[in-house]
Amino acid sequence: MDGFSRREFFGAPALLGLWRKTDRRITGGFVNDSFPLGHRLRDGAEFRAPAQQLRVPIVIVGGGMAGLNAAWYLDKRGFHDFVLLEMEQQAGGNSRWGENEISRFPWAAHYVPVPAKGESLARELFEELGVLRDGKWDERALCFDPQERLFINGHWQEGIEPEDGATPKDRAQYRRFMEKVSEFRAAGQFTVPMEYGARPSPLDRMSMADWLVQQGFDSAPLGWYINYACRDDYGALAKDTSAWAGIQYFASREPEEKGPLTWPEGNGWIAARLIDKLKRHLRTGGAVYGVVRGGNQIRVLTEQTEYVADAVIWAAPTFLASYVIEGAPRAEGFQYSPWLTANLTLDRIPDQKNAEPAWDNVIYDSPALGYVNATHMSLATHVDRTVWTFYWSLAEYTPEAARRLLLARDWNYWKEAILHDLVRAHPDIRQCVAHIDIMRIGHAMARPSPGFLFSEHRARWLKPTGNIFFANSDLSGFSIFEEAQYRGVEAAKGALRLVGRA
Amino acid sequence: MSIALFLSVFLIAACGLIYELIAGTLASYLLGDTVFQFSTIIGCYLFAMGIGSYLSRFLHRGLVARFVSIELMVGVVGGFSSSLLFLAFAYTEAFRLVLYMVVIMVGTLVGLEIPLLMRILKERFQFRELVSHVLTFDYLGALGASLLFPILLVPKLGLVRSALVFGIFNAGVALWSTYLFREQISRSRLLRAGCFVVLALLGAGTVFADRISSAADNSLYADQVIFSRTTPYQRIVLTKWKDDLRLFLNSHLQFSSRDEYRYHEALVHPGLAALPGARHVLVLGGGDGLAVREILKYPSVESITLVDLDPEMTHLFSTHAVMSALNQHSLTNARVHVINADAFRWLDTNTEQYDFIVADFPDPTSYALGKLFTTAFYRLAAKHLASGGLIVVQSTSPLFARQSYWCIVESVKQAGLRVYPYHVYVPSFGEWGYVIGSFAPYEPPRQLPTGLRFLSTANVAELFVFPVDMQPVPAEPNRLNDQVLVRYYEQEWKDVAH
Repeated sequence: MDGFSRREFFGAPALLGLWRKTDRRITGGFVNDSFPLGHRLRDGAEFRAPAQQLRVPIVIVGGGMAGLNAAWYLDKRGFHDFVLLEMEQQAGGNSRWGENEISRFPWAAHYVPVPAKGESLARELFEELGVLRDGKWDERALCFDPQERLFINGHWQEGIEPEDGATPKDRAQYRRFMEKVSEFRAAGQFTVPMEYGARPSPLDRMSMADWLVQQGFDSAPLGWYINYACRDDYGALAKDTSAWAGIQYFASREPEEKGPLTWPEGNGWIAARLIDKLKRHLRTGGAVYGVVRGGNQIRVLTEQTEYVADAVIWAAPTFLASYVIEGAPRAEGFQYSPWLTANLTLDRIPDQKNAEPAWDNVIYDSPALGYVNATHMSLATHVDRTVWTFYWSLAEYTPEAARRLLLARDWNYWKEAILHDLVRAHPDIRQCVAHIDIMRIGHAMARPSPGFLFSEHRARWLKPTGNIFFANSDLSGFSIFEEAQYRGVEAAKGALRLVGRA
Repeated sequence: MSIALFLSVFLIAACGLIYELIAGTLASYLLGDTVFQFSTIIGCYLFAMGIGSYLSRFLHRGLVARFVSIELMVGVVGGFSSSLLFLAFAYTEAFRLVLYMVVIMVGTLVGLEIPLLMRILKERFQFRELVSHVLTFDYLGALGASLLFPILLVPKLGLVRSALVFGIFNAGVALWSTYLFREQISRSRLLRAGCFVVLALLGAGTVFADRISSAADNSLYADQVIFSRTTPYQRIVLTKWKDDLRLFLNSHLQFSSRDEYRYHEALVHPGLAALPGARHVLVLGGGDGLAVREILKYPSVESITLVDLDPEMTHLFSTHAVMSALNQHSLTNARVHVINADAFRWLDTNTEQYDFIVADFPDPTSYALGKLFTTAFYRLAAKHLASGGLIVVQSTSPLFARQSYWCIVESVKQAGLRVYPYHVYVPSFGEWGYVIGSFAPYEPPRQLPTGLRFLSTANVAELFVFPVDMQPVPAEPNRLNDQVLVRYYEQEWKDVAH
């Protein structure tokens, strides 16, 4: 009798599929590691002498958004005698993207807030790319509804500002904060690009966290929200972020349209179109290991070619200048937050209960930043597989400690950490994920630490040294698309003037 | 005496088989996949009978009393099995668990019956005779039940009542046994009282069977489910009550065969009849083939392209006898091309132009479906309109969801089309709305195909007149980045429900 009842007992659940599901095997690894080459530059390793010499009036070093936009500007102004050098196989920098059989997906930068009327450069580019036509934004490039959601108190709420569980006191503080933001916006100092309006301000000398305390903002959910914004845009906690930069995040935007602009591959969509326009100028896969000044000319050295130029646009991160440009000083004061991004291939959509999946999905009180769903921008009504891009800025560590941690841990450690974070909101995540590729970026984004934005350290790089023009977005103190574009275009203007073509 | 004894064998055998058939039928109605349901249920049931037979060896004394109690238990569990299963399906997530538990319980109890009865009777008959008689009547009972079930029980009594009636038979056999074997039982009075209680319970159940089914159906479907399948895209359920066939997708009524002609005539003819010489027609959604049936009434139409997401849906309406009779075999017509694809994406990658486009999508109950009602979608659809062509959009109810309706109209307008809103009364839906979009000015047709049941040249222009309670209200257009429609719709239907 025992035997029967036991079999009956265990047999029924098996038949009904109530068996405990075993975790599936998840494949993947680290991709696009750039630190080996970076460390060789830093350590002054030997590089091969170039095989050939070419005379090119303008050389752009660095094929991220700043370099691509510098090239875009030169090309647009009818100047075609230049090359754009990118050390990686794929140009795009923080706007690189990937693709698998399900979707294209971003590797880092994944949106551009809808540019306001005054942002003429960004609007010019988007008009050229067909995203802005006759003053109207292309509906298909505006983030589809629902844009954002937050997992809080065991379920999803629409929007990232914590509404669920907010007390009247919290709500009053949200309102007061937004009023403050409006005042700052009206004052006109918080602009995009920042250079248009930014004036030295005592706000830069304190941290965002201190400013909140000073203003009497003590609501926990408001604090979380602002801290999240700092971690998301600057890779730093509110206590490590300049209050000026923290306010810039909120006060610089007054969108005319519900956005942001986004695509399945994030800003890779912009990068891909620029690369396509500029492909005859682009040389990938050759690191610049030396920039040597001699008279009025500059020699730019790669292992393949030595370029002899009249002007150089340095669009690579500014901190690399001292390792590569002969005689360049160290970029004092420049700090960079390291990042980890992961692309998760899901061959099943996790059970959403009654919540509708959004584009940007954030988990309250998570150390990570959440994930963006690549198929959200698909026109399909039914999606059964997708790719999620998971973001983690490791902001609770110092940049140095975070970089060490990134290199010390293996893929399995990060995979487990990511799943551990996601399982809170998606209990069945392990049954859905088939593959996780992880990208470690040691110097992902400029960090606007208190005091940096209006420091001498930053100011000295804004002027060209001789005929080298600096263009990276880190010159603005934070890495966003519009700053990269502005810096790239400004450097291109300077270079054109120098070669007598402006 | 012996005939009476073997009659009870016949009855209990019939009862056992009926419960098994009910479980199998119910499972395939509610879950689909008939082969799987019947195979697993028969397997479990027979296996459970084996358990029952095995367990019978552990029963030693008071065999008749045991037999009577087992009959009563079978009567209760089996009799209420279909009620229980309907309610479990309607109100719980654990339908399968309940299903197999009921099957195993009934099977085990039924498995105990025959061995016990044979042991009770072994004193009265020779073993050879006993085995032969009992098994003969056992199999006869099975035959009787299997014939009775489809011919009489399901059509006349329905599943809930059939089970209850056979539960009464089990309890009847129990009661009868207390008289037949009265000398072999000690506490016959107690047992008889038990029998009456069970009989009363089952009797009451039979009387209130309708109430039980409606309790289950309130959250479900009012009628008999004749087809049900969960596809990767949706849950398709077909119900039938007398001559009324209803299709539900994800529990939303799509049509009732009694009045769908009103909906589909109004969807197709005001637009298409105004386009004499229309040759190429595109139907987006509408996998039931009913809109296509109406379009096929125009000899000038050379090709109809139907794009529906779900292959199960178009397959069902192409092949199922009842459904393909309803759409008059429209989906297998040589002029019709069925494509199973996601409509927005398909349209985006396609360059064909059409004289008439029908957008017959489910209501915008989610952001995913809401994409099919956006200005971006209508702009894309407009690109596929041949010169002078029209698009017609099913646009939810202008009465129950007034702002949603006018939001859809506004969205079509924002795509650069002239809009011509109209509505019709469909009894099973209520007031229902449509909008025609066109680059050129549109006028209602003066001629219609023959043989229509609702529309006539006399009433077609009236559809464009909106009574005061359905007239335009301000609404934002529905856009991919701001799906106001999904929010309007949710709010308005919530208000209707309360």
